[in-house]
Formats: sequence, structure tokens, C-alpha cells
Amino acid sequence: MDFGLTQPQELLRDSIARFLAQDVGIERVRRAMDSESGRDEAIHGQLGDQGITGLLIDMDLGGSELGMQEAAIAAQELGRAAAPVNFHSAYVLAPLLLAGADAGDRRSALLEGIAEGRSLITPILDAPIDDGRIDGAVLYVPDAPWSDAFLLESGGSLHLLDASIPGIDIEPLETVDDTRRVAEVTFSGIDLGAAESLGGSADSTRRAVHAARIALAADALGAAQKGLHISVEYAKERKQFERIIGSFQAVKHICAEVLAEVDPVQSLLWHTADAWDGESDEIDHLAPLLKAHATEVASTAVTMTTQVFGGMGFTHECDMHIFYKRAGYDRQMMGNPTALREQAAAVMYA
Amino acid sequence: MDTLIGSEYDSLREEVRSFFAANEDAVVPAGPGFGGDASEVRRRVVEWQKRLVDGGYAGREIPQRYGGAGHEPDPLASLVIEEEFQDAGVSLGMENQGISMFVPTLLHFGREDQKQDLIRPTIRGEMIWCQGYSEPGSGSDLASLRTSAVLDGDEYVINGQKIWTSGAREAEMMFALIRTEADAGKHAGISYIVLPMDTPGIDVRPLMTMTGDASFNEVFFTDVRVPATNVIGRPGQGWEVGTYTLRFERNMLGRSNATESYVAGCVDILRETGLIDSPVYRDRLLKLEGRVQAMKYHQLRLLTDRLKKRDSGAGGLIVKLNNCQLNYDICALAIDAMAERGVLKRGSKHVRDYGNWQRNYMYALGLIIGGGTAQIQKNIIGERGLGLPREPKPAAA
Repeated sequence: MDFGLTQPQELLRDSIARFLAQDVGIERVRRAMDSESGRDEAIHGQLGDQGITGLLIDMDLGGSELGMQEAAIAAQELGRAAAPVNFHSAYVLAPLLLAGADAGDRRSALLEGIAEGRSLITPILDAPIDDGRIDGAVLYVPDAPWSDAFLLESGGSLHLLDASIPGIDIEPLETVDDTRRVAEVTFSGIDLGAAESLGGSADSTRRAVHAARIALAADALGAAQKGLHISVEYAKERKQFERIIGSFQAVKHICAEVLAEVDPVQSLLWHTADAWDGESDEIDHLAPLLKAHATEVASTAVTMTTQVFGGMGFTHECDMHIFYKRAGYDRQMMGNPTALREQAAAVMYA
Repeated sequence: MDTLIGSEYDSLREEVRSFFAANEDAVVPAGPGFGGDASEVRRRVVEWQKRLVDGGYAGREIPQRYGGAGHEPDPLASLVIEEEFQDAGVSLGMENQGISMFVPTLLHFGREDQKQDLIRPTIRGEMIWCQGYSEPGSGSDLASLRTSAVLDGDEYVINGQKIWTSGAREAEMMFALIRTEADAGKHAGISYIVLPMDTPGIDVRPLMTMTGDASFNEVFFTDVRVPATNVIGRPGQGWEVGTYTLRFERNMLGRSNATESYVAGCVDILRETGLIDSPVYRDRLLKLEGRVQAMKYHQLRLLTDRLKKRDSGAGGLIVKLNNCQLNYDICALAIDAMAERGVLKRGSKHVRDYGNWQRNYMYALGLIIGGGTAQIQKNIIGERGLGLPREPKPAAA
């Protein structure tokens, strides 16, 4: 029994954290936030150089062939840094869907591209494919304007559609979290023949979706932990009534309550990632339960810790709102807590 | 991550199962479904405790010369045993202030003759203890206590009053914090003294609690004489000894092994009432499940820290706060699911599970307050866990 990170996992966490602290500081995050598109073009290549894009990709394709535990470590650190990247989509969902595709040169090339941080492939679940045509609008697609290709999933089958194919219209949507934006993607009657059929299976899709949810939960946990950290630091510095505000119980208890809720989420995350790696049956209720619980706790955490800053917490200048919005995005995407609790209940109390 | 418990523990699992089979006549079930006539309940609990001690499942790590099984501390073995008991729905035995708090303190600070005399009957459920800590003027600020002992020859003469003393009428013995050196500092003048409850001059008056039980008491001391040798540790060392005991109280009150059986009982009620199909109740249940599961794996993380002899930091400080609140919230859901039946209490016609849900709903609130209130726990988490500054002392008037 050793419930926790192994030494190599701790080293991975520390190296990702070091890279993010040095190269993806909050100023860089703010530059992406303040830009027109929200894009940080260089980050994908840098994540590739760090091996972060290929954690779930086989070694012979340039990845490190690790598991969900390592992917969750990366996601948590990216959340802690509010890094402008949709890790759950580009580097968890996409490679795992592709891993379940038919083997062949094409699949290998795609995974190699992802591992290097060269290709950005955006999955679209339950894509509007009907009667041999791709036709309809898909909402809330991450990374759409700069995706190289869309990986369309329908009933477990995968079709890769190059983003440059005529008939794809991409309209960015205004989003609350400026570090990760979404778009509306409209496919205008594209012949399915224009996409490459890659096989795939419902079972592999199900596992990939669980994994993406675990990654979003980890991201939310990282954001909540960072929010707590900066608010505790502030509470140790700021004085009012000639006292450090952290000595007031009203402030201290906010921090204590948030820690008491947030800290156990780490253990549920590790256990769920481990269950995914071990292909345990439990994953069908654990993944939705984890995402529901982690993002619910994270929402409460950032709501409470923002208040530690008083009026400063409501300003654009204070970093707290970045983590507040980060947790909000993680909460809403791929199933909100209420919907996921219902999903978990259907499995647990069938 | 390695969540596996090695196969070397398989034989232990077998051993536990054979123990259940061999002691089937005495098994006490865990969870809300056990209750009934109080003296019969007590007889069965004590009998089961003796079987557990003889089988090596209670007092497992207590040396044999003190009546225990003398096993080396092995958190994994303890976990395996807990799992087996939980799976079988069997009680892990008595958890009280004597067994869970006093015995580990005595092992650490006691003299050999004290260990010889007191540990064996305590772990076998034959010697019940109460804790004399709080006083009317000393609750969260415990070190301000005023009950005093004055040395007269080779005896201490004790005068004063304790309050919130659980189980004082049933207890044979008390361990108490008493001011033995009036002139020493607030913390330095306290000693940790044990005394038989039938000593002349002790007057116990029950305090009725909101559960309808008189589980609390006031204990008055009027010229109570006890041998000076009844001090555990050195005279004046009482604050250190007493806070050592409190650490075990936090652990005891924070244990989650009852939690899962209560969740299972709650699910049973939801199924019986058909409310398991109500999205509103399901949502409440799943919110609890998220917290229960998170705390369950949190405990494994703390266990790993113990195995690696690593400090858990803030992670260890949150357990009492979280689990007491969680137990309360589980009972609240079960009672809501009972609708009007939820107003009944023990002894009533139509009551479910001997009224255990209603009793525990209130008792859990007592535990949120007891053993260091939730608010004191938050101070401890904020100060020791997060490094926030203490509240400044008020300026002298």
C-alpha cells in the first residue's frame, strides 16, 4: 500500500510546475486573456518539448506511455497555473480516442503529431453525422479557430476532418474564462467521404470521456488550491484595524473551511485516476462523481477565497478572478455537477 | 500509486472470517440496525469486546503483559481487519475514552505498576473511564481550569467541579486534569490524575442532553482524597499528558468506519420509500457520496503517511471537522427520507432502527461541538495547518 504519488510521479509534478512557473507565469496568461483570440500559439510546442502533450501516447510514437495518474498531475498543475490550454480536449480526449481507432500509418502519424505538440486535433463528440453527411452546428468547441483537424465521433465511430476543408464555419463565442475560449462550428453538408474514417469503438469513447472529465476535475482542483494559496498569503500580509487580517477568525475560518473541503479531493482524484488506469468497473461511477464533487468544491472554494481579498478580489488586477473563472469553465464543460451526479447515481443505484 | 494490500495479508482475512464463524453467538452488528434494551445491549457489547480482545482484534497492539495481543503496530493489518469487519457488517468493538484515549496515554506516560493495573480491565470493557477535563468556566480555554488538588501527606485533596463528563455515572474511573500547583503558570500548574469514581466526596449529577439521554454529567469534588501516586507522568506535566490524550480524541471522533454503514443504511431507507427514484433525493445522496468517498481515500493517504512516518500536516487536522459534519448530514438525509416518521424516537411504535437515526442526528451535533468545537478545529487548521497568525491577546484593561 502506497496511496499517493510515486517518486517518478513527484518528479514529473515538480518538473511541470517548474516549467510552468518559469515559462507560463501569470503575465503570460494575462497576455493571452487580453488578446483578441485568447490564443497562445507557442504553448503547444513548449508543452510538446516538455513531454506534457504525449503523456498518454505510446513510446514508439514519441509519447511517454504513462497513464491517467500522470495526466491528472499535468492537468492539476496546468489548472494551478491557469495555463491557456485545453489539456482535457487536445491531450487527453484526442489521443485516447485515436488510441481506440484502427491501427495504421495514419493513426500513428496523428499521435506522433500530438506528442510533438505540432498537431492540434479537436474532438467533437456526438458529431452531426447523418446519412453520409456532416451537417449542422456544434456549440462550445474548444480551440476551434486554430485546430488542424476535427475528430468527429458518432456512435463510437471516428472520422477525421481536416480543418481546411470547405464548408466549415467557425465563429468564436465570448466566454467568461478568457484562458480557454470556445466557438460555434458549423458544418454545411460536407460529404462524409471528405473525412477519413478511423474506426473506433463505443467502449474506447466511454473511457476517453471519463479521462477527459478526470482531467477537468484535476484542473479545477489545481485552480482551487492556487486560489486558496494566494488568499492565505494575502491574509498573512494585509492589515486592518492594526491587525493581520488572517488573525481574525472570520477570515481564518474561511481559509480553514476551504482547506478542509479541498484537501480530500486530492485523494479522490488519485483514486479515480488509479481506477481508470486499472480499468476498474468502478470508473463508470467514479469519474462522473469525481468531476461533480471536485468542481462543486472548487466553485465554493474560489467563491470563498475571493472574499478574503475584500474589494480587491473583485478587481481585474487581482489574480483571484482568473482562478474563479477557471473553476467555472471546468465545472460547466463535459457535464455539470448536477448532471454528473445523476449519471453516477444511475450506475450506483441501478 | 499502489493501492494493493499484499497477498501476505490474505491469511489475516481468512483468520478474521474464521473468528466471525467461531464467535457467531456473540457477534454485535455495526451500524444503525443494533439496539434495544439498554442493559442487554451493554451485556452483549462487553461480551463481544472480550471475544475481540481474546481474538487479538481489540487491544491488538497492546503488549501481552498488559492483556493485549502484543502485535507490532501494522497500519495495513489494521486496515485489512477494518475492511473485513466492515464487509461483514460487524462491530469493531468498544470505542470509548478509556480504550481509545486513556490507554495510549498511559502507555506513553504511565509507570509500570499503573500499566499493569489499569490496561487489562480497560480494554476488556470491565473498567469504564470518564474524562474530567472541562469545567463550567473552562471549555475551549481548557488551561484556565480551577479544580485543585492540595498535597496532604501522601495524598492529594481535591476540590472543584467538572462538567460535560460523558458516562460519569457508569464509569469506574476518571482521568482528570487538576491544578496541583496554584502558583505555577497557567499550563505548568496542572497534573493528570486518575481516581476511582466511588471515592468519598465525589458527587455525580446527570445532565439531560437533547437526545433525551443523561449521557453528560456534572461531577463535584469535595475534599476527595486520592494517593499522590495516582498522577500519570510528573506532577505539573498534566497539560502535556492531557493534550496527548486529546490527539486521540480527535482521531476517535473523526473515525469514518461507521460512516459507510450509515450511508448504506440511508440508501436502504431511500430504496424502501421509493425516494431513490426522486432526482432531488438522489442529488442529495450523491453530494454526500462525493464527500464520503473523498474522506475515505483521504484516510488512505493519511495511512500512507503513517506507514512512511511522515507528517500529514493540515491533512490530519481536518478529519474530525469533516467526519463529524458528514455523519450529521447523513442522519439528516435519512430522517428527511422518513418524512413524518422522522419525528419518532427510541421506544416508540413504528420507529425505525430503534430510533438510532434520530439519536445520532442529535448525538452527531454533540460531537461537532465536543472534543474541541468545530470553531476551535478551524482555528487549529488555520493556525497549525495554514500558518495564519493567532488571535492577539486582548490588551490588559
